[in-house]
Amino acid sequence: MPFLFPQRVWSRLLQVFAGLLWALLLAPSQSLAADLDVLLILSGNAPPYQEFAAAFRLNLPADIHVSQLEIGQLENMDTLSRLEQKAGLVVTVGLKAGEWVAPRTNRPILLTMLPSYKYAGIKAQHHSDEPFSAIFVDQPWFRQVSLIRVALPGFKRIGLLHAPEDNLDIAQLRALLEHEGATLIAKAADPATSLYASLNGVLSQSDALLAVPDSAIYNGDNIRNILLSSYRQRVPLIGLSQAYVNAGALCAVYSTPQDLAVQASADTVGFARNRQLPEAQFPRLYNVAVNREVAIMLGIRIHSATRLKLQIEQAER
Amino acid sequence: MKGKNIAVLLLCLSWHTVRADEYSSELAYYQKFPVVLSASRLSQPLSNSPNAMTVIDRKMIVASGFRKIADLFKLVPGMYVSYYKDSQPIVAYHGATDQYARRMQVMIDGRSVYLPPVNTVDWADLPITIDDIERIEIIRGPAAASYGANSMQGVINIITRGAGDVHGGEATFRRGDKGINDVSTRFGRKGDTFEYRATLAYTADNGYDDLSSPPNNIPVTQFKASGLLNNSHDDNQARLFNYRANYHPNGTDSFDIQFGFNRDIQGVGFNDKNPNPSQPFSTNGNTFHDLTARSDFVQLDWTHFLENSSQLDVRYYHLQENQYEALPVYLGGVYFPGPVIQSLDTGRDQVQIQHTLPTSATNRLVYGAVLQRDHSSGFSSMPPIALFYNSSFNTDDYQVFANDEWHINRQFLLNAGGMFERDPFGNENLSPRASLNFHMTPQQTLRAGVSVAYRVPSLVEIYFPTVQPGALIIPGSTPTSPGLIPEKVVSREIGYLGEFLDYETTVDLRLFSDQLSNMIYLNKTVGKLVNGLSAQSRGLEATVKKSWGKDSSLTFNFSHELTSSNIPMLLGTADIWADSIPRNSASAMFSQNLNNGLSFSASYYYQAAMQPFDRGAIDYQPIQRRMDVRIAQSFHDFGGIRGDVALVVQNLFNRGNSEYIASNVFNRRSYIRVTANW
Repeated sequence: MPFLFPQRVWSRLLQVFAGLLWALLLAPSQSLAADLDVLLILSGNAPPYQEFAAAFRLNLPADIHVSQLEIGQLENMDTLSRLEQKAGLVVTVGLKAGEWVAPRTNRPILLTMLPSYKYAGIKAQHHSDEPFSAIFVDQPWFRQVSLIRVALPGFKRIGLLHAPEDNLDIAQLRALLEHEGATLIAKAADPATSLYASLNGVLSQSDALLAVPDSAIYNGDNIRNILLSSYRQRVPLIGLSQAYVNAGALCAVYSTPQDLAVQASADTVGFARNRQLPEAQFPRLYNVAVNREVAIMLGIRIHSATRLKLQIEQAER
Repeated sequence: MKGKNIAVLLLCLSWHTVRADEYSSELAYYQKFPVVLSASRLSQPLSNSPNAMTVIDRKMIVASGFRKIADLFKLVPGMYVSYYKDSQPIVAYHGATDQYARRMQVMIDGRSVYLPPVNTVDWADLPITIDDIERIEIIRGPAAASYGANSMQGVINIITRGAGDVHGGEATFRRGDKGINDVSTRFGRKGDTFEYRATLAYTADNGYDDLSSPPNNIPVTQFKASGLLNNSHDDNQARLFNYRANYHPNGTDSFDIQFGFNRDIQGVGFNDKNPNPSQPFSTNGNTFHDLTARSDFVQLDWTHFLENSSQLDVRYYHLQENQYEALPVYLGGVYFPGPVIQSLDTGRDQVQIQHTLPTSATNRLVYGAVLQRDHSSGFSSMPPIALFYNSSFNTDDYQVFANDEWHINRQFLLNAGGMFERDPFGNENLSPRASLNFHMTPQQTLRAGVSVAYRVPSLVEIYFPTVQPGALIIPGSTPTSPGLIPEKVVSREIGYLGEFLDYETTVDLRLFSDQLSNMIYLNKTVGKLVNGLSAQSRGLEATVKKSWGKDSSLTFNFSHELTSSNIPMLLGTADIWADSIPRNSASAMFSQNLNNGLSFSASYYYQAAMQPFDRGAIDYQPIQRRMDVRIAQSFHDFGGIRGDVALVVQNLFNRGNSEYIASNVFNRRSYIRVTANW
């Protein structure tokens, strides 16, 4: 059986050779595991989206390639399908991009800069087993409640004016505040009457007013009356950004587009390594701002922004 | 009205437009806003202020339980509040505790109510009630650079509730001892570009008690010898109205319109000098009678926000007051039903323009000019002595002012400025001010400052009438004391402001040294008023505020003052200036919100013994101690109405404090106040 033996040997050798060949063929893709094409889709060309994009690119290693598009450029499906074939991960910035892209691709998606309450609805429209996650634009209620607790101890009635059809999870906020011994005075603005009648109703019963991300209420035209009313009634406004605080809000906890971009880039690097995305999450990086002049004029003693942030961080640990 | 409708329509449109674009949600977080509560709109933080300042806010006003505006100044360290009549308060700071206290500027929303010809404030005839006040800023020390002429020893700046601060209706009813009977209604509406509020009020009280025995253990004979026993005719009734509207068509312009009036009747005069068996031939030129006063005002303010966050403020106001009295008199025991009639008209027109300009991130300049015309005319008709005289004056006053606020670095802030004035009598005065604030830490500030200010002589000081019956002083037509020049003060101070967040405590300390010179006094040898009285005062003022959470707070004020003057040299008497200033005074106010809308506050006032400056020894004021308490219950839905019921007891322990006039004894009084809002 000398002939057979060599035949088995050859067979083994062939198997080994084939294995080596496979190994050689597959090896490049294993050793270049971080190499990833990311398709970044912005909801528009507004400054926050642009700032996000710039910071996102800056925080990625060179072996992750980013192609960037604005939603307006994706009006025909062909563009998306051509680009998405190549993309290892689609990152959307803003709600509009997320809502448009999610039902139209089965690539892995990281949605960013969208309100948390919109997430479930978008996810329901996405039909794929690929990783799907999000980084929200809003701060979690518990962080807002932490800010109120550390910045305004003793402010027990927190007012909130929202649009009638808002999807805010007011019940959760109410529960968190009640846990802190505070109450929530939430009112829907009645579009049939003056906004200020509604606002006045809330202010008269509140120790502080918490702004919500609704530009029907909080916009450049209305902010003057809102802030003047709050100032007159000695009810400080808790804003949503540095701009609110600059305008005259007492304080705010907020994340900048750059903060969100840093978090998104870290998730992208992680995805490049292990093809996994973390659970949908609130911003990990955030800032606290305080308007000292407003605090002094309202007779409110408030700690520095740095100290407030430390206290919030301690509470979240 | 048309403009308002269009604005409402636009708002509705914008509402739906924004709603339709649901993708704006994340941009709501990143939208840009105009700076609304800018440093120039906000009052300067105390730690950046070039002067010592006390702020009495709405919460303190409510907690104090006071119903008279003048009483609120008991909460200012170093301030003297007392009464000549129940409706004629005297508010003085650092001396000059006389009936015509006139060394402090008093403003309502920037409108000076410090009026000729005597240069005092008619507190009973102001067209506002205490409930119209949002807050009061009291500048302790000269502040001509910021507040203009006559800010000699300080400035009281009363800020009324804004046009948009009342939404809906409010009715207040107050009833209590001493004939206290106040009714007021307030109404306001707030729109998107237009808002207004209005107050209609009636206030009345019977003033001080008719004394049955002299106060302060003074024997009846001594009291009678001084010719004064009772102050039983000092009822006061005021009917007033005020209206304030604001129109802000856009983010850069704001128009504020105010007008109002007060019709006041107050009991004046004394009957103790009427002839009686023990003094059959006595003369009384100021018998019991009514003084009626009517004051009216209109004020327009335009605020315009320019590019580079600078701000332009233009103000015009007109105010006028007429005071009238008709009274019988006794001359040498003979009754003249007369009547003696006196009437006085005063008025003012003022235009002010001010530009607030941030010249860099660290520097802010405020400058402007004031043109003011004062009018004063009156007559005095005295049939019993066949005398009639009248006088009429129109005087002009021009002021230019500037103040620069330079944040040298994070720690040092320099305020430097001044006011140049050409006064009605042609004097030209420059009132400079400089102060350096050193922020040792963000919560600890030291302040050192020096300022100069002047007080222009009043018409009455120059044109004092030869005969002066009744309660009014009608200036004569020829000068009795010509050549008077303005009084001057040079004030130096070192202040400390500390904020101790962990203890919820703020501390405000001030060491001051004031040099007053050229003050006007009566030189009896030449029989006229002359300049030449000088005084020095040094002292310490302190305010400590402590809170326990949001519902509990304590404010404590203390003042210690040492003064001396050249009166012994000028008049050869004791230093009555030094004796006229209480060496120590203090006040404390505690307030607590309890559960279920119940709130409680207690205030304590202390004033060391003193001798009012222009009174005799009979009016010596012994130590005053007074405790006021207030307890209130609010209700939120009583048939759709919210409001509160409060009980106030003033002078709870009935200490029998006598005021500026010894027969004005402030006995315990209490009242109930009911407020309903809908």
